[in-house]
Amino acid sequence: MMKDVKINSYQFLVLVIFFTIGSSILLVPSGLAQNAKQDAWIAAIFGTGIGLLVIWLFCTIAQWFPHLTFIQINNKLFGKWIGTIFSLLFVSIPFLYTTTLLAHSGTFLNIHALPSTPMVALNILMGMIIVMGVRLGLETIARSAEILIVVFFVLFLILVVFISPEIKFENIQPVYEAGTKKIVQSSLSFVAFSSLNAVILLMIFPAFINKTKQGKKPFLIGNLIGGIVVIIITFLCVAVLGAENTARQMYPGYELAKRINIGDFVQRIEALMAALWIISLYFKSTLYFYASVLGIAQIFNLKDYRPLTIPLGMIAIALSLVVYPNVIYQKNWDSTTAVSYSLSMGLFLPLLLVVVYAIRKKQLKKET
Amino acid sequence: MLKSIGILLIAATILWIEVPPLLEKKLKKELLVFAILLAIGVGISMTLGFGKSIPNPLDLLTFVFKPLNDVISLLLK
Repeated sequence: MMKDVKINSYQFLVLVIFFTIGSSILLVPSGLAQNAKQDAWIAAIFGTGIGLLVIWLFCTIAQWFPHLTFIQINNKLFGKWIGTIFSLLFVSIPFLYTTTLLAHSGTFLNIHALPSTPMVALNILMGMIIVMGVRLGLETIARSAEILIVVFFVLFLILVVFISPEIKFENIQPVYEAGTKKIVQSSLSFVAFSSLNAVILLMIFPAFINKTKQGKKPFLIGNLIGGIVVIIITFLCVAVLGAENTARQMYPGYELAKRINIGDFVQRIEALMAALWIISLYFKSTLYFYASVLGIAQIFNLKDYRPLTIPLGMIAIALSLVVYPNVIYQKNWDSTTAVSYSLSMGLFLPLLLVVVYAIRKKQLKKET
Repeated sequence: MLKSIGILLIAATILWIEVPPLLEKKLKKELLVFAILLAIGVGISMTLGFGKSIPNPLDLLTFVFKPLNDVISLLLK
């Protein structure tokens, strides 16, 4: 039942774009501007570059095992017991990030759109559509992504065109004042958010693509397009709001949409623009949730992952109320532990896979 | 009290939707994992419903990754 699912490479491209943009579009500009000040956009370019290298590593691993998901690769390379331990650690990443993204969307809506609604109600609404999407399967998610990417890019173009008269080039001068070290430092959390976490796409990438050979290109191109969108948003934030203001805002992208003013007539369209963030947040959390549910099902060797969706969704919604007690905690966690967590699961674990594969290569070939 | 009754009602609905097809197909392992996860979910939700706090999983991760955090901040300073 799980084997029949196949998506084509264009659909995968769209999913990668949404995954890369995801929560980064909402949260990354302020994180980048904190250290790199007016050079935040350079840090974003730098981060995209490093991200592409990481994605290339994932593609290489995927090409060695064209029909297996990440969990199955783990089991095959490390053996049953050690593989299961690594898989359990790996599954914790998409599951915890589902809860944090639920918390992000709840907080965002609570602050900006529905202030007197309790956050649990917003989280339940978001969680319900995520569970619904995952229950309907990967093909449904991919097809709806195909439709909504058009809406997303139209809104994005409107945002970019309408805000461009407000750009003040004094805000980004002097260029490259922060220095290389500061830029690398601040780009790290962006790399962790959008590229290192893409390791969870290895649950989809080689196994569920109809033409595996062409799968590498959309992964790289999708990551690049997503990176460019984030670079543009960061540049606009710094150029319109100024570095100090960007760093101080919780959602600088939203503040950007508030500044839109065309001839004193087109203004305050930020609620429309919020659709951008809701769409990308939804797809990112759906992909996370899909990866975690499928991962758990494969660890326990189940035939179908669907029965697990609703209980796991319930746990995720309950935890989403707990994970971020306050904003300070969230900012602190995002810039320190989230980076190390993503590094260890998204970089060290794949590198370990590469090493073990190099050692066991001949033995594995004999078996097959 | 009302909250916990609500959570139990939701759990009952989930059971009502999910269990019959699983029993029909005789997927015992799936049923077991499903039941454990549902129990955890109901447990966490009930605890929150009664206004008690539950441990934050991110605190555990912060504890585990403290050494790596220190190394990274040392490397970049």
